[in-house]
Amino acid sequence: MSELAAPAPVDPQVPRADDPVVRPDLTIGEMTDRICAIALRERAYGWWWAAFVPSMALTVLLVVAIAYLFYAGIGIWGVNWPVMWGFAILSYVWWIAIASGGTIISALFFLMGAEWRDSINRIAESMMLFGAAAAGIYPILHLGRPWLFYWLFFYPNTMTLWAQFRSPLLWDFWALLTYVFASILFWYIGLLPDLASVRDRAASRRRQRIYGVLACGFRGSGRDWRHLRAAYAVMAAIMAPVVVSIHSIVGLDFAGAATPGWHSTQFPPFFVCGALLSGFAIVLLLIIPLRRLLALEDMMTGRHLDVLCKLLLTSSLLVGYAYLMDAFTTYYGGDRAERVMFETRLFGPTYRSVYWGALLFNVVLPQLFWNRRLRVNPSAIVLICLGVVCGMWLERYEIVVTSLHRSNLPSAWGTYHGTFWDWATLLGTVGMFLSGILLSVRFVPVVSMHEMRTRILRTARKAAP
Amino acid sequence: VSPLTGRALWRSLEQAAGDPAFLARAQHEFPGIAASLADPVDRREVLKLMGAALLWSGLAGCDSKFGKDLIPAVRVPPGIVPGQPNYYATAHVLDGYANGIVVKHLMGRPLKVDGNPLHPASLGSSDAFAQALPLDFYDPDRASALTLHGAPSERPSLERSLAQQRDLLRRTGGRGLRILMGGTSSPTLAAQLDALLLQYPEARYIGWDPVSRDTVEQGATRAYGRPLESLAHLDQVDVLLAVDSDLLSGAPGSVRYARDFAARRNPTRTASMSRVYALEPTPTLIGAAADHRFIATPSEMERIVRALAAALSSRSGPAAAERESLPAWFGALLEDLKGAHGRALVHVGRDQPASVHALAHAVNESLAGHGSTFDLIEPVRYSAHDRGATLAQLVEDMRGGKVTSLLIIDSNPVHAAPGALGFAEALARVPFSLALAPRGDETARTATWFVPLAHPWEAWSDARAYDGSVTILQPQALPLYRGFSAHELLARFTSDAPPSGEEIVRSHWRSQLGTDFDDGWRDALATGLVKGSAAPAVDARLRDHGERYAADIAGSAAHADSPGALQVLLRPDPSLWDGRFANNPWLQELPRPLTKLVWDNPLLIAPQLAARLGLKNGDHVRLAVGTTALETPVWTLPGQAADCVTALLGSGRAAGGRLASGGVDFYPLTGGSGVVRLEKVSGHTELASTEHHNPLFATPAEILRHGTLQQLSQLRGRETEPAEAHLYRRRPPGPAAWAMSIDLNACIGCNACIVACQAENNIPVVGKAAVLKEREMHWLRIDRYYAGTPEEPQSFFQPVLCMHCEQAPCENVCPVGATVHDSEGLNVMVYNRCVGTRFCSNNCPYKVRRFNFFAFAREQRRPPESFNPDVTVRARGVMEKCSYCVQRIAEARIEADRANRPIGEVRTACQTACPAQAFTFGNLADPGSEVVKRKESPLHFAMLAEQNTQPRTTYEARVRNPNPAIEGVRS
Repeated sequence: MSELAAPAPVDPQVPRADDPVVRPDLTIGEMTDRICAIALRERAYGWWWAAFVPSMALTVLLVVAIAYLFYAGIGIWGVNWPVMWGFAILSYVWWIAIASGGTIISALFFLMGAEWRDSINRIAESMMLFGAAAAGIYPILHLGRPWLFYWLFFYPNTMTLWAQFRSPLLWDFWALLTYVFASILFWYIGLLPDLASVRDRAASRRRQRIYGVLACGFRGSGRDWRHLRAAYAVMAAIMAPVVVSIHSIVGLDFAGAATPGWHSTQFPPFFVCGALLSGFAIVLLLIIPLRRLLALEDMMTGRHLDVLCKLLLTSSLLVGYAYLMDAFTTYYGGDRAERVMFETRLFGPTYRSVYWGALLFNVVLPQLFWNRRLRVNPSAIVLICLGVVCGMWLERYEIVVTSLHRSNLPSAWGTYHGTFWDWATLLGTVGMFLSGILLSVRFVPVVSMHEMRTRILRTARKAAP
Repeated sequence: VSPLTGRALWRSLEQAAGDPAFLARAQHEFPGIAASLADPVDRREVLKLMGAALLWSGLAGCDSKFGKDLIPAVRVPPGIVPGQPNYYATAHVLDGYANGIVVKHLMGRPLKVDGNPLHPASLGSSDAFAQALPLDFYDPDRASALTLHGAPSERPSLERSLAQQRDLLRRTGGRGLRILMGGTSSPTLAAQLDALLLQYPEARYIGWDPVSRDTVEQGATRAYGRPLESLAHLDQVDVLLAVDSDLLSGAPGSVRYARDFAARRNPTRTASMSRVYALEPTPTLIGAAADHRFIATPSEMERIVRALAAALSSRSGPAAAERESLPAWFGALLEDLKGAHGRALVHVGRDQPASVHALAHAVNESLAGHGSTFDLIEPVRYSAHDRGATLAQLVEDMRGGKVTSLLIIDSNPVHAAPGALGFAEALARVPFSLALAPRGDETARTATWFVPLAHPWEAWSDARAYDGSVTILQPQALPLYRGFSAHELLARFTSDAPPSGEEIVRSHWRSQLGTDFDDGWRDALATGLVKGSAAPAVDARLRDHGERYAADIAGSAAHADSPGALQVLLRPDPSLWDGRFANNPWLQELPRPLTKLVWDNPLLIAPQLAARLGLKNGDHVRLAVGTTALETPVWTLPGQAADCVTALLGSGRAAGGRLASGGVDFYPLTGGSGVVRLEKVSGHTELASTEHHNPLFATPAEILRHGTLQQLSQLRGRETEPAEAHLYRRRPPGPAAWAMSIDLNACIGCNACIVACQAENNIPVVGKAAVLKEREMHWLRIDRYYAGTPEEPQSFFQPVLCMHCEQAPCENVCPVGATVHDSEGLNVMVYNRCVGTRFCSNNCPYKVRRFNFFAFAREQRRPPESFNPDVTVRARGVMEKCSYCVQRIAEARIEADRANRPIGEVRTACQTACPAQAFTFGNLADPGSEVVKRKESPLHFAMLAEQNTQPRTTYEARVRNPNPAIEGVRS
């Protein structure tokens, strides 16, 4: 660190690991003005349209894919007799992991009081919200008879039928429901004072009204703040275990089955580690272009990148450990079907690239972050994070598909490939996620201003003699 | 043409037959219907028309003088109780041989076929063909209208035309009249043919089947002087040598043979297990069941049978030189056969030349089996003796213009006649030809007149079984379409005022049954059997007894094949037979026993040949026999002789109906001679097999237990493995505990159970594209495993259906409780509750659950009235699986409750159909039940027992009885 101890005049465009979390001379007023100005811009940025139009196009594709699915039936997908679960489940798990990663950054590090969290938690929470939305539609689409999804509720009915407690899918349904609602609340509660700030700065009557309604009358009184902080802290305290539970239960969807490849007690923590990994990757993928495009380099500094990359590396190591244990338990357990399935997963002609791809992208590639220069190199980070996002999808593919395609009986072995409609649905949810993020970037303060104010004050206080 | 107009037209046509103005209008309107029927796109219209026709015919039964409005049956015909089935005996006739069946009716609709327990060829069992008959009957592609030169016509024109024919034939004494039909055993038809040939002495009868039994008859003629039929008594056979045998797959009586065969295959139930040797160029069912299977080309087989005959003849053994070239196992086989003197049998399949059959007769006589292992009876099928002709003679006469009138009755020579004969061109030279056929098939399109053939369930007839027993075929429903039976058509050639089909059959039997006709007739209809009609055994002796075929034995093979030269074996398709079932979706989608292929018939080639030519499954080859060549995909079949390729007949039909066009038509190669050439060409066809993963040699050890008789004797008396521990275990509290045991020694892989299950449980057909996507729906599948090398594998069959686990993994994971356990141990599926998460299937170790990815049931081409009303038709998005025929259990329970007694025997559809009695279903709570006994067998095992699911469906391990002498030689 010695050569970095006396920094030369810093070019803010070039992030460095020892950057402060905010530019030292950034004032509260400047920060608020700039963030509000983004939300209040009369016309959107050119790059925003360039990103939004294709995202919306993909969202329209999603609507078409869903409409056709409901019309024709689940057969339009690639799922088949041995591989009864496919893209719907694996994409669901993938999205829920992305959403969970956002929650962990926002809630867990809030509770831990991490100083680097304040400028990126809004993005992380938006990511959680739209990730959860993308994930949330899949379990319903996945059903053979989606119009009957409400049968998973406990509701009084004349047939005195009740949902079935022993099924992990039921826990999953409830965990997801809890998670989606809690995510919305968490996001929204943290947003209230910022919406009020935007309302106060809005020039047009229309905007004042809209933001006013959205701000729910938040006036910045001491009482308002007291309630807000309490509610936010309570929500954060709830979200942190909920996010662990949602992803553990998603893990139990698999671990609860006797299927070779799924029947493993390590799945719940394994899935949580996976959620961390993909969450950090997506957050990095979002903040790197945004800090540039919105000129937020002085709030999302090299320090942020460095911390997130280190966390990504840590979660990658955890995932690597899970892979290792996967192999260990297979051979330690000694079950024939497990072994056959595992060896096919590694060396089978159809899916071996999936396994090795996941291993490469999730475990090998992030090891580059041991190099501190790469941890602050935006292009390298983007490439590695893209790799991780793909790798996590491949990992879900490997868990869902390769496990099912080699079950106990050789007569029930099969293969699976996604169809056009599978891909359309997946890309559609990507489009929906991006559209949501872009809309939130456009209309919602992209940085949590009230938390940033505290951070700036604290930093200033610390810097003051 | 709207269906309503069509309906009115059909009805009125009959009534207003004499009215010329009406006829003109009918002529004008009829093409519309014909067009709408022929239009492949408009299937709804066809179904509507069919439904309308059915409705109409049902009404016709109530009152023949009905008005324009349709009136429901207010007064139900006698004997029909809503919800209660009726059963009527009849027979299913294949190539002239009858197999007794009982048809189950509900509300007057024939719905389900099962074997007739009183019939000697069935004993209550049936084959896949018989099981699939309901769809044949309800086939929307069945012809409904007469055509003249391909244009719709009507009955009065036909009657006028037939009258002209009668006049002509009476003048000429029948010169130029030829009657071509498949071999028939109908006594009534035989009498009619005799009378016709007497009346028209110049006429000729040609009995011809595409799947010919000519060589069998010729072989018997060579041996015994006349074409006697040989009846095997497999329950008496200790050592069986099956030479390219069709004993279990299509030979007359094969359903009965399967039962007799299986009776000697489970060592825990038979005092002495039989030993079976199979010698064959292409895998057959008996080869899969055999203890030793030897692969041989046709000429090698001939050489071996000749050597056997020589060795067993009193004169001398095979020459030393001959012995040298015989395989190493020959001596052991010979000793085994000799050792089983009087209890050994050699059976030769219909594809072998007459000389091999003759030699086999000699061997069998030498082994002193006559009277114990086999009997001889007079031929069952009709033969016109000197008034008969062969197909080749017929075609020659047709070419020479000697044939003026040709009747083709339920035969399809344009499609199936040997390609080399050129039947279709010859037919064009016949001035009057009439095809009586069930569908507007290839022949029907070419003939002058096409007359729809009444379905066997719409007309009266009679037929004889493999042992000569006669069954009266009674109609099972009022006709869906107006067709003629063969009897009615033939009567029109001899009589100006022909009686009805029923009257023809009845009057024949009036003369046969004599004074107590009424009783005998009623008895015959009720039992499905004419009492005492089985053919008596004939005490025939080998011709040239002393000589013992000196010439035959000494002679060399009729065709010595040069080493490495390919041979084409043309065989009937196991599911489609000669092509007549090609429009039956159940049979098209029935996985062929060894390849598990559906909807296709690639050329079957040996692994060695595939490796040599670099062929993968589905690759195209050009197969040429002499000058005839065609292109076909290939499929590698383990156990195929390296120099032989097998082509299955019956697919690729030009006009067999809308489902029949898939696959390759190999008939052009039949009868061909010349060098066989096979070369790879570009092109690839995706072939749908229900063995999706191609696990050729997946080790079946833990899934399908098997061993040898010797190993079993060491095992006997040992304790069965202890049950594994459970965290919690709930025993279903109900009064009955349903369970099943499947004997893998009995299962011959014949597929009868699969179709029976499909028919009973309304299981949809999904089509080739869906099977390619692994979405087949069969609740019961027969897994096929191999052991050994691809060149010489051992085959194993294992029927797999829902195991009804006591600790069912599927039940725990369903979030809505759509699959639950009932009080009697059934794992039941509540279709209405299913939301389609499919988790149950993922968690089923046996993968017996099937999912409706689309609305498969609704997309089928089958009228709603053909479904079993006792079983829910499953909707899109719903999981389904074997229910142990819960509807039958419910029926039995209701009966038991009414009679105030404990529930008695319940038979599942698969169990009833199985010719080999592999399935046993029953109540574990009843200590005397057969299933309890079978589960105490030392062979008893549960599949994937380590999963601790406690399945109610268990198996009996497969035991082989190899010859120690040969086992030594080979190892």
